[in-house]
Amino acid sequence: MTFTAVAPAAGTPRNSAATVLERFSYDDDIVRKFLFATLVWGIVGMLVGLLIALQLANQFFNFNTPWLSFGRLRPLHTNAVIFAFAGNAFFCGAYYSTQRLLKARMFSDALSRVHFWGWQAIIVSAALTLPLGYTQAKEYAELEWPIDIAIAIIWVVFAVNFFGTIIRRRERHIYVAIWFYIASIITVAILHIFNNLSLPVDFLKSYSIYAGVQDAFMQWWYGHNAVAFFLTTPFLGLMYYFMPKAAEGPVFSYKLSILHFWSLVFMYIWAGPHHLHYTALPEWASTVGMLFSVMLWAPSWGGMINGLLTLRGAWHKVSRDPILKFFVVAITAYGMATFEGPMLSIKSVNALAHYTDWIIAHVHTGTLGWNGFMTFGMVYWLLPRLFQTEIYSKRAMELHFWIASVGIVLYVTAIYSAGLTQGLMWRAFDETGRLAYPDFVETVAKLLPMYWMRAVGGSLYLVGMFIFGWNILMTWKRRPAVYDVPVFEAAALSRGYSAPKDVQLPAGVWARFTHAAWHRRWERMPMLFSALTLLAVVVASLFEILPTFLIKSNVPTIASVKPYTPLELAGRDIYIAEGCFNCHSQMIRPFRYETERFGEYSKPGESVYDHPFLWGSRRIGPDLAREGGKYPDLWHVRHFENPRAVTAKSIMPAYAQFLTKRLDFGGIQRRVDAMAMLGVPYGDAINKAEAMARTQAQSIANAVVQQGGPKGLEDKQMIAIVAYMQRLGQDIKVQRTAQAANAPANGAIK
Amino acid sequence: MTKLADIMEHAGLSMYAEVALVLFLAVFIGIVIRTYLPSRRRALDEASRLPLDEAPIVAHRKAEER
Repeated sequence: MTFTAVAPAAGTPRNSAATVLERFSYDDDIVRKFLFATLVWGIVGMLVGLLIALQLANQFFNFNTPWLSFGRLRPLHTNAVIFAFAGNAFFCGAYYSTQRLLKARMFSDALSRVHFWGWQAIIVSAALTLPLGYTQAKEYAELEWPIDIAIAIIWVVFAVNFFGTIIRRRERHIYVAIWFYIASIITVAILHIFNNLSLPVDFLKSYSIYAGVQDAFMQWWYGHNAVAFFLTTPFLGLMYYFMPKAAEGPVFSYKLSILHFWSLVFMYIWAGPHHLHYTALPEWASTVGMLFSVMLWAPSWGGMINGLLTLRGAWHKVSRDPILKFFVVAITAYGMATFEGPMLSIKSVNALAHYTDWIIAHVHTGTLGWNGFMTFGMVYWLLPRLFQTEIYSKRAMELHFWIASVGIVLYVTAIYSAGLTQGLMWRAFDETGRLAYPDFVETVAKLLPMYWMRAVGGSLYLVGMFIFGWNILMTWKRRPAVYDVPVFEAAALSRGYSAPKDVQLPAGVWARFTHAAWHRRWERMPMLFSALTLLAVVVASLFEILPTFLIKSNVPTIASVKPYTPLELAGRDIYIAEGCFNCHSQMIRPFRYETERFGEYSKPGESVYDHPFLWGSRRIGPDLAREGGKYPDLWHVRHFENPRAVTAKSIMPAYAQFLTKRLDFGGIQRRVDAMAMLGVPYGDAINKAEAMARTQAQSIANAVVQQGGPKGLEDKQMIAIVAYMQRLGQDIKVQRTAQAANAPANGAIK
Repeated sequence: MTKLADIMEHAGLSMYAEVALVLFLAVFIGIVIRTYLPSRRRALDEASRLPLDEAPIVAHRKAEER
């Protein structure tokens, strides 16, 4: 190791005599703002979470109010906790740590404020539009197009502010936490833009430009990476800064953290298809997704071990310091969730877990444990520093820690058992080879005790949130009349920096290579270096994704599959607005226990006109892919009016408003036109969508009356949604009967 | 959309996925080697201390408002 002696020259410019010392201070006001936003939205998001948990335990909690029903509030809960709670927590920690790691104030205080207020305005608009039924029907990307544009703009504001700070930094080396932030900022921007590409119909309604299989592929490329780059990498960045701070020692292995970073960046992008095992997605794609998911095991656990071992020599502090307790549980939860994730991506495990509560349990281990506890630990660490006083109550921190931990345990054990129970009941056959639980609702009713236990666990976690909030407020009240702003001093980074000339270059091939002029110059441009590397990652991802997207042979077309009629399309939009896809899948997997229960398995070619796809990810109610023709029209009318009148144990909210609310016939033409523009072959309907819809509505309304139902439904929403229900899965049946009719004529019958 | 799909179909791009995979692997191996170069040890050790290594405070001022 003859050449280590010269290595510091590259990293310590501030010792150089030629450099200028600069004075600066940090903007902690923005950190305080984000801290309060984290608290407020955390409480809101978790309150909504508790409400929807209660709705599953007893449908009474839907209060027979459309805007409070499960289908509309579930996206509000997920959006609020991911983008509002975790998002603001990330911004809070990122604004604090970035300034200090780069020894520079944020690039622009004005941009910081635009970022803060813009982000809060987006959250408020989400909280208003989602309960009102404005949704794109894609998980974690439900917000409609004007809000999507606002998100993109605010994200760019954040990015400009962030990269501007990097350029003006006074520390040559960019610490690994900043890398995680960079990767998150760039990847989230790309994911958000590509998944939300849609064609607006009107101010708050749009159709995804992708359809069926491609929309599903895109959505779960997004959905998986939203978890990766919104809930994982930003919080890993926070971990790599705040954990050493709290433990008062450097991270266990900086080299390991570098590998952790690069392997996550390289692998995460490919793992998305594991959300679509045994669906109509081509098999090779889901196999690639599975392989990369399993490979993610290694870096994730490397990162977990790195985080925990940062406490080496400081373990005795953990029993006394609640902040370290929060961090230890957070990192352990990261380890558990990232162990379970690859396991769930293995096809045979996935077959059991998919569509069940197991996935919900997996997600909550990650969010309640990893994101929640990282946030709590970080905020408690920040409180005395931001408000320049002692934390109000250390005992309340302890209480928060224990009550939230017990809450997590209750929540996840209840929901893991619910997931396993339902998954096993679905696939159970009796000794005669028939489904042991042919009635779907039996597999739901069995879960109710576990749903109550989940609500109790969630309530405990929420109580912890209130203790957290109380402690923050009381600490804030003790703040000084005027905050002290320390002024720091550090050397400016000079552009024309070069290594001191008088240092002797070491001998040896490696040394000559690593000290070559190009290599030194390259090393001095970390900003450019990281930007180019990420560009490479992005371009390569697109190369992998785009061909699979655009090659026709990947989605075999089926001649008998036709576009929805204008009335069915209107019904489908009601289905979307009510969030039915949150509980009902439309994707029958090719297993005997699925086809026995629901009918012929779903084919890729069946959803080619589905903008957006509605395959769903959870079955709280039965799959609807073959619902058409199973029941008479009147059954659906009665069922929507009061599900318990038809299925006694049903937990579905009532949709009696469909009987009275008028269908917007005038708006149907616009919707059909938008679909036609996306390439759906609408033919005649392009000019007379409304007339066609009225004719079909009349004939269904007549049928309902004939079956003994109420009169005058022909202009109500009920007719449209019933028309849509009766269409689902019918195209394939049409083909079958056609084959059956042809078979004897061809003489091909056995 | 259909036209673009036809073009992509005939462009024969499916091989690019494998090429991308090999490139990715090569870059990743490069990063691993670079990280463990003995010559980088000192710089990385210093970098690992960055969160703890705060700039010196040279003065104090009061925030204008609360």
